[in-house]
Amino acid sequence: MSLRGLVKRFETKLAVAGVSLEVPAGSFYGLLGPNGAGKTTTLSMAVGLLRPDEGRAFLLGYDVWTDPVAAKSRLGVLPDGVRLFDRLTGPELLAYHGLLRGMDAATVDQRARELLEVLELGAGNRTLVVDYSAGMKKKIGLACALLHAPRLLVLDEPFEAVDPVSAALIRDILQRYVAGGGTVVFSSHVMEIVERLCDHVAIMSSGVLRLHGTLAEVRGDKSLEEVFVQVVGGRVATGSELAWL
Amino acid sequence: MTGKVGAWPFVRLKLRLTANGLRGRSTRIALFVLGVVFAGFFAIAGYSSFAIPGVLDSLFAAESALPLGGATLILGWLFLPLVFFGVDESLDPARFALLPLPRRTLITGLFAAALAGLPALATLAASAGMVDTVARLGGPAAAAAQAVGILLGLLLCVAVSRAVTSAFATALRSRRSRDLAAISLALLAAAIGPLQLAALAGAQRADWDTVAAVSRVVAWTPLGAPYSLGLDVAAGRAWQVPLKLLISLAAIAALLWWWSRTVESAMVGIAGASSRRTSTSTRSPVDLLLFRRAPRTRFGALVSREIRYWWRDAKRRANLITFSVAALFLPISLAVSASAPGGMTIFVGVLAALALANQFGFDGTAYAANITTGVPGRLEINSRALAHAIYTIPMLLATAVLITLLSGNPARLPGTLGLLLAAYGVGLGLVLPLSIRAAYALPDTPNPFAMSSGGGATKGFLALGVLLAGVLISLPLQVISLFIAPIWLWIGLPVGIAYGTAAYLIGSNVAATQLDKRMPELLTAITPNR
Repeated sequence: MSLRGLVKRFETKLAVAGVSLEVPAGSFYGLLGPNGAGKTTTLSMAVGLLRPDEGRAFLLGYDVWTDPVAAKSRLGVLPDGVRLFDRLTGPELLAYHGLLRGMDAATVDQRARELLEVLELGAGNRTLVVDYSAGMKKKIGLACALLHAPRLLVLDEPFEAVDPVSAALIRDILQRYVAGGGTVVFSSHVMEIVERLCDHVAIMSSGVLRLHGTLAEVRGDKSLEEVFVQVVGGRVATGSELAWL
Repeated sequence: MTGKVGAWPFVRLKLRLTANGLRGRSTRIALFVLGVVFAGFFAIAGYSSFAIPGVLDSLFAAESALPLGGATLILGWLFLPLVFFGVDESLDPARFALLPLPRRTLITGLFAAALAGLPALATLAASAGMVDTVARLGGPAAAAAQAVGILLGLLLCVAVSRAVTSAFATALRSRRSRDLAAISLALLAAAIGPLQLAALAGAQRADWDTVAAVSRVVAWTPLGAPYSLGLDVAAGRAWQVPLKLLISLAAIAALLWWWSRTVESAMVGIAGASSRRTSTSTRSPVDLLLFRRAPRTRFGALVSREIRYWWRDAKRRANLITFSVAALFLPISLAVSASAPGGMTIFVGVLAALALANQFGFDGTAYAANITTGVPGRLEINSRALAHAIYTIPMLLATAVLITLLSGNPARLPGTLGLLLAAYGVGLGLVLPLSIRAAYALPDTPNPFAMSSGGGATKGFLALGVLLAGVLISLPLQVISLFIAPIWLWIGLPVGIAYGTAAYLIGSNVAATQLDKRMPELLTAITPNR
């Protein structure tokens, strides 16, 4: 994935101010940043959900905005804050995504069953996705993104609201995926996960990329959290206020 | 710290939300201005019509017209939100669930906020014409009584619309009661029939005595009671005033109590998810999604999902149900009022297509899935139209049968169906491009009638525009069918289908091209503000 000078303005506010990022193929890339840093906006522009005001985005060499079909067919996305078609049951939703990807029905059935079993969602579960717990919704969303075996995965906050057991499972799936030659880009504000999983890291705040490179380069001899707080700034302790609490 | 909370903060919050919703959005401002113009027009037209009996100096005319006119206002407040506008739910009751507010405070506040809006203002201004009339007929004392009356009437209008939409929202949410809700909606719609009958028959035969008799009865119901207070003073029946005051106040209190009950269940409904069946199935995922004869392709998947959504999504289901009721009720009401039941044919056809006017808004951000999988515009549009037609065409067939039965001429069935299908095609042709260019976000609440501020106006104007344009474009066919009635019996169905198909092809083509260019913009438009 290659982003070149992406810019997005909302009314008067500059949400993303010229982000350029090279994600090497086969890397496990973590995009870090505080809330409101522009992570979701950047990833939305990268996958073709939000039209950038300036700049271009290439996925595996295909321009998302001029050659969307080629780019999107090789891409799996798990957007954050976006609803799924949640009036379908889990199996129905997976079948829907598979058929929309143009896969043949037998492959869809076989892969969907396997994913539902591995993610412990139940291949015959008739519960509507709208009634799933937050963690289950993340898992079914991830399953939808993986179903067509894309070469690039873009995941927005994949570990938010996921319980520790499911998180470990998702980590394992993603690590296997990268070991098999896939590329993962994901955003998070949980340092531990990023430090444990990623080989590359970028830190964003206020719509600007502050720091990026391999984990070792970015971290230096400090912990990632220290680097993050130092780069982003802001207060981490209270003084004499809140005495009434 | 925990001082008493009045209604005023709610009103301020509502006005603030409305203002913020307008800030920096030129289309919304334009719509708002259009709304103000329409409200002003309605107020002036209403005021002058209600003032006519006074100008004529006829107590008899006033006693016939005012209670009936007032009843029409209240019925309008009852039906228009259900069928056309939705309710402005910028103050979503669920948002107040965590605040330590007693129910009484909450309801008074929400009620006051509902009063602070253009529709309420316009209604008040229109009904002020009644005070004008009564002042001319009965002097200041009567006018004062009537002024109290129209204020009560306004409270009744707002209370009835809130209570009924909230109750239907609650009922349509649960699987068990939604059929009951559909039936009672039909009954409600049917209840307007006798009144319309009286009005139309009275107007046609100029039989003012009948109208006056009906009006006298209506004046004793909550519908007319508040609007006849001043008349009673003017006519020297002041003893009736306390009784009618009691009727009005009791009705308002009952409605508010009913509303508070359903609001409470709506507030709790968000926290406690409904428990649905959790049986398991051994069928394969693709078989679960697709209907038996659907092709195992992208198109099949899109259509199957749409069909399931029209039934499983409360917002869409509410649309289908209200259309079904209207489609059956309009011909009946016309037949009852002794005019030709065929007069509404093309109107019903266009109305059918209206449900798709904000089809992407129903999906909200879930539509992102279709963008990331790269569904082409044409496929998207055609699959959505087909899924809707699968529900609608049987409904139109039923309407056609009903119209021909009522007109007592079964041979006209194919011709009538042809007209309906032509109008449906024209409606789709108009609505599909609009569903992309004029999409708007629906709030994330379980209330299928809820609108974010400004949404109601958008929906109402779109509906009016589409209905008008659709009827105009279909009108040539209706005219032709009248001129060559004997031949129309034979060629009506194929010609109607051809006309409708042509209109659909043009409209869907435009829509598909636009969608291909504007997918991300469409997604932004239908994403609710958070």
